Amino acid sequence: MSRSEATRSSYVPAPMAIARAVREPRSVFTLTFEVPGGFRFRPGQFNMLYAIGVGEVAISISGDPAEPERLVHTIRAVGTVTGALESLGEGAVIGVRGPYGSAWPLDEARGRDVLFIAGGVGLAPLRPAILHVLRRRAEYGRVAILYGARSPEDLLYREDLERWRGRLDCDLQVIVDRAGLDWPGRVGVVTRLLDDTPLDRDDAVFVCGPEVMMRFVVRDLARRGVPGEAVWISMERSMRCGVGLCGHCQLGGSFVCKDGPVFRFDRVAPLLLVGEV
Amino acid sequence: MEDLERVLKAHPLLADLAPDHVRFLVGCAKNVRFRGGDYLVREGEKEDTLYLVRQGTVSVELRRPGGDAVCVETVGAGDVLGVSRLTPGAAHLDCRARDTVLAFALDNECLLRKMKEDTGLGFALSMRLLERTYDRLSRARLQHLDVYR
Repeated sequence: MSRSEATRSSYVPAPMAIARAVREPRSVFTLTFEVPGGFRFRPGQFNMLYAIGVGEVAISISGDPAEPERLVHTIRAVGTVTGALESLGEGAVIGVRGPYGSAWPLDEARGRDVLFIAGGVGLAPLRPAILHVLRRRAEYGRVAILYGARSPEDLLYREDLERWRGRLDCDLQVIVDRAGLDWPGRVGVVTRLLDDTPLDRDDAVFVCGPEVMMRFVVRDLARRGVPGEAVWISMERSMRCGVGLCGHCQLGGSFVCKDGPVFRFDRVAPLLLVGEV
Repeated sequence: MEDLERVLKAHPLLADLAPDHVRFLVGCAKNVRFRGGDYLVREGEKEDTLYLVRQGTVSVELRRPGGDAVCVETVGAGDVLGVSRLTPGAAHLDCRARDTVLAFALDNECLLRKMKEDTGLGFALSMRLLERTYDRLSRARLQHLDVYR
């Protein structure tokens, strides 16, 4: 049994050594693990990462699903566990269990125009889906990526952004909330990018970012004729067990860890204003 | 005049406005062009023009005492610049063309006079400007929340 199979078949974290630790802007960091047996996941899913002796945290997988031998997580250090993970360097061992949760509906989106809308570190959970769609480009209609960040210094995955911008079959638009006068790009909120994006009610729209941002995005999409049935969002709630047992991430009748984190918007719209139970 | 009327009603702010109303507005409007680096508006100066941007990008900038200037928003084709200019007062932001900017410049005094003369036009324009103002307020709130922090 490979390590990834062992991880998936139990609730026991599998030890994995950090192969690469990269500092991204502003307390964001990316950890890469080499998994010789392959770590298969569906874009949108997450793992529970265990900082040994500190605690566990749910983190979306941000690597390329076509390269399962490399497991990648991009994390923002905001608490005790993520802070502990941030302090680790190459060779340090952490526990990994997963993958868990629902995925972006990439099969359902096949043949349709696909729009990715990411805010801040929300680009990380969307990255596997973007890489998947771009790799199988002919299977999808028009592809657009709208990315909003706090400032030019906060933009994640700059190499990816430059590569995507260079493609003729993909429309990448970037905007930042604020910038110095040397920034040549657009400034404003991410919903501004919708002004220049052709939209249709049959599009498949994948949104990930802070919940407030997602609410603004979905409202503006609706004003432009894109219904909630065409929009999927990735939700974030305090997840502990990852398998729908503990109830920490309960959202109405759903568990974010088991039924989510990816939900079709119209199915969770009334719950977006609900805090944790 | 006929050409100006035709292009004027192509701007999103005036789209679907009654033809009579657009014709009535032509007398307040002129085509203007700014080169990259030119200021449409300078902070502290009297505001007397409403700009309907047709092409190019305008950087809305705020100078901070003791700090660098920051760009708080960029606006482009289809946008309206200077809604606040319909109320008396001085500009509180700089608006600088980033590249060649083409716009319609509507003289505020003339515009307000016509809006009073024809209350139907006044109502239609006020509603459109209110919608733009609300959109901008909504965006400013989202920016203020600093959700990506």
